[in-house]
Amino acid sequence: MNSRKLIWGLGIVGALLVLGVMAFAIFEPIQVLPRIRLSPGYLLADQQGESFTSEDVRGDIVLYTFRYSGCEEQCAGLDETMLEVRDRVGEVDLGDTDFRLVTISFDPETDTTDVLTAEADKFGADGLQWRFATGDEQHLANVVKAGFKVWYEEQDDGSFSFDPTLVLVDGWGVIRGEYEYQTLKSDADKIIHHLDILTEEIRNATGAAGLAYEAAHLFLCYP
Amino acid sequence: MSKALKITLISLAGVVAFVAIVWFFVLPSLAPYNFHGQVIQSNQAAPAVELDGPDGSTVRLSDYEGKVVVLYFGYTYCPDVCPITLSKLDRAMDIIGDKAEDVQVIMVSVDPERDTPEILKAYMAHFNPTFIGVTGDTNTIDRIATTYGVYYEAAEGSDATGYLVNHTATVMIVDKDGYLKLVLPFEGTAEEMAADLSHFLR
Repeated sequence: MNSRKLIWGLGIVGALLVLGVMAFAIFEPIQVLPRIRLSPGYLLADQQGESFTSEDVRGDIVLYTFRYSGCEEQCAGLDETMLEVRDRVGEVDLGDTDFRLVTISFDPETDTTDVLTAEADKFGADGLQWRFATGDEQHLANVVKAGFKVWYEEQDDGSFSFDPTLVLVDGWGVIRGEYEYQTLKSDADKIIHHLDILTEEIRNATGAAGLAYEAAHLFLCYP
Repeated sequence: MSKALKITLISLAGVVAFVAIVWFFVLPSLAPYNFHGQVIQSNQAAPAVELDGPDGSTVRLSDYEGKVVVLYFGYTYCPDVCPITLSKLDRAMDIIGDKAEDVQVIMVSVDPERDTPEILKAYMAHFNPTFIGVTGDTNTIDRIATTYGVYYEAAEGSDATGYLVNHTATVMIVDKDGYLKLVLPFEGTAEEMAADLSHFLR
């Protein structure tokens, strides 16, 4: 009789462990964004003509877009989202982490420093929280196409075909979100939600909480 | 002591022993290993590397399938960061002992104008005879460095050093299946590198 109780006791302890693991996976007490791949390293020039590198934003959360100054309708969704995220980022508890926006032009021939300055002014980009940048044509191809995996191609009329995309990168230089636009639908809500998840993870990166977050990465990425 | 009490105490001791075993042995083995750098969980293979190696060879990342590859971006005229990192990697190889046979350290030159395969061969051998240095044309180097998150640019040096090259100083670990798994900061110690490498060599 008592050995039966012992078996029951052991069984209950084991079942509780299994249930705990299942609850972690099903009820998602900890949400994490996937660590998609490394964000590319780069050496560009910003709207003030100053050198701007990937190391300058190490430690910051960065939202990137890729466009060119002649882009109008094609970029409307991207531009609206960047503006909305900039205006709403105050809703996120960033703690000690800085949040930046970076718009990279893949048309360096047209988008000179003066043009980038005018573009930045149009969006109220201050050159610190929001930078416009471009660089050497070949390096841009390596950064945007090979690194960020955003396709673009110059057309005969000088315009560009491209995949309107936003990319969210964490302070460790890891891509945590990719938002591809097939419509003009705003993804600002999703990006703000993802910023919440990311900053929560940053705040809990050490100690026992850090281990719990690593465990969440092992389970699945469910935002 | 009554028989019932004896059985209850034995049962209690059994439960305590079970919980202790789970707590001290099972749970630690289930807990994720705490790496000393940034973990990457990409389902895409590490960016391809195909560059000029020692003695006219072509070195490809895919050549080392089945081995853990440590990728570092540096240059032979580097005054401090590169020698320190390569020395730490050599020390890490000592720490992991025989397992080092399954590790290949590769330094990609971010100074292809000065770093010929011959110069790289002599430089890398100075740290460890198994280490390899690779180079290539400027655009190929730029593409590879960029896709591994590495920035670099020429900077003013001295008469003794010539120009310098500022560069990202992280160390990348590619697992046996060719996936980039870990980015280690420059500040990491040889012991930490060895511990993380051992994890990938299990």
